[in-house]
Amino acid sequence: MADVFIPGSLEEAVDFLADHPTTAMPIAGGTDLLVDARTGRSRPERLVDLSGLRGIEGFELDGELLRVGALTRIRSIELDAELGRRATALVEAARVLGSVQIRTMATVGGNLCHGTPSAEMPPSLLVHDAVAEITGKGGQYSVPLAAFFVAPGRTVLAPGDLLTSVRARVPSSAAGSCYLRQTVRWSMDLAGVGVAASVHVEGGAVSNARVALCAVAPVPMVVTGAENAVMGTSLAPDALAEAGRRAAEACSPISDARGTAEYRRQVVSVLVPRALRIAWLRATGSWPEGSPAPVNGVWTRE
Amino acid sequence: MRVALEINGDDYARDVEPDLTLLSFLRDVLGLTGTKWGCLTGDCGACTVLVDGKPVVSCLQLACQAQGREVTTVEGLETPGGLDEVQAAFVSNGATQCGFCTPGMVMSVEALLRTNPSPNEAEIREALAGNLCRCTGYSKIVDAVLQAAAERRSAVGSPAADVS
Ligand SMILES: Cc1cc2nc3c(=O)[nH]c(=O)nc-3n(C[C@@H](O)[C@@H](O)[C@H](O)COP(=O)(O)OP(=O)(O)OC[C@H]3O[C@@H](n4cnc5c(N)ncnc54)[C@H](O)[C@@H]3O)c2cc1C
Ligand code: FES
Ligand code: FES
Repeated sequence: MADVFIPGSLEEAVDFLADHPTTAMPIAGGTDLLVDARTGRSRPERLVDLSGLRGIEGFELDGELLRVGALTRIRSIELDAELGRRATALVEAARVLGSVQIRTMATVGGNLCHGTPSAEMPPSLLVHDAVAEITGKGGQYSVPLAAFFVAPGRTVLAPGDLLTSVRARVPSSAAGSCYLRQTVRWSMDLAGVGVAASVHVEGGAVSNARVALCAVAPVPMVVTGAENAVMGTSLAPDALAEAGRRAAEACSPISDARGTAEYRRQVVSVLVPRALRIAWLRATGSWPEGSPAPVNGVWTRE
Repeated sequence: MRVALEINGDDYARDVEPDLTLLSFLRDVLGLTGTKWGCLTGDCGACTVLVDGKPVVSCLQLACQAQGREVTTVEGLETPGGLDEVQAAFVSNGATQCGFCTPGMVMSVEALLRTNPSPNEAEIREALAGNLCRCTGYSKIVDAVLQAAAERRSAVGSPAADVS
């Protein structure tokens, strides 16, 4: 049975965590933590409830800078029209996470800090060069999100550290992004493969590209090789196929209930080109605005 | 730990274990057993209630995290005239068989109709993705939601609704 401390400020939360480094854990939406506690995966003695803290909830777009507070609920990202235009992949990832109830409770910070290999938020933040902003006993520091994840269930956070926000760069024009995933069931399922892509298009060619994956390696990953395969091209089929091939080679999936390692690699090689292509269509204004991509990139129902 | 919140319009304050879930607070402390105890891992939605008007699974929220908030459970839906439109439509469409999923379903539908008064079938299915039913096969539930939405829209449009 856990005791619960309700801090009045971020500083109080950090102090309490620092004073109880081995026994206390922060709780935000509770959708990972309370499941872990119920299934015996973790036994926190003390919980520090972040859910009432002001100042780290919500997001703001200031020019090209997007800052997402750690306590931002997945549902508020899903429902924001401006984010839908500017950070489409993030909104698409939010739309497919769990159920309405789970999205209403779950926070972006919790999704990142739990370190689940299949967690939905990291790829769409990685394609925007996200940086994690952290506050600990020693003060504040930042870590590129690409270096934030250490192993399944482990991040760079030291005991007592809190993720306060994530900042990302979202270009304001000639750019597009997309998040696709493969699941066994259409809803209420974790990703077997998750792919985010973003492209910036100048003079009819890709001037910048990002590809990031989840659920196919111990930690979410950026695939530089796939990015290089499409840089400077106008995404001809051979460039797209090469990007897919390189991503499939770079990842290291396991076999489990959601698919074999071989199958997952195959799916990566298919979803990477699809996600890049949809990002391109968005960047060039050829995709209907406000229209989400089908979850795996093709319309197979209705 | 002292937990004080509003449930279905009434204030409640109780001393409880700090890590008590909102689900246990409702059922075991207050005896409001309409909210169902299912998987306890967020998957089935049987424990769905509204907190400040938004649907949450009460098995994954601590009672102390709902401190000072407004909670609505299935017990709070009944109107002086009887069942509300959503509940009545579940009954008349045969959208309830064993009934275990129904309170959670109904709360998710209430949340949906507050933000989207005329949902289509795809929107209904998406809103109910986190509410599992092992009996009905869902199509009767979709019918019930379409009917409840239509009735609520016509009630809002009619002069009788202005009485409140
Ligand atoms: C039924 C169900 C379906 C789901 N489906 C999906 C899905 O499809 N895709 C997906 O990606 N996820 C899914 N999830 C998991 C998803 O809900 C979580 O990853 C969620 O985003 C975690 O956020 P939270 O606020 O609930 O975190 P919590 O459970 O409160 O915390 C998670 C972990 O992060 C730590 N933590 C939280 N906030 C901070 C912070 N600011 N600083 C430091 N540490 C912190 C906590 O100590 C804990 O270890 C699902 C969960 C459930 C129950
Ligand atoms: S009992 Fe809460 S979701 Fe199943
Ligand atoms: S009516 Fe039995 S579970 Fe839905």
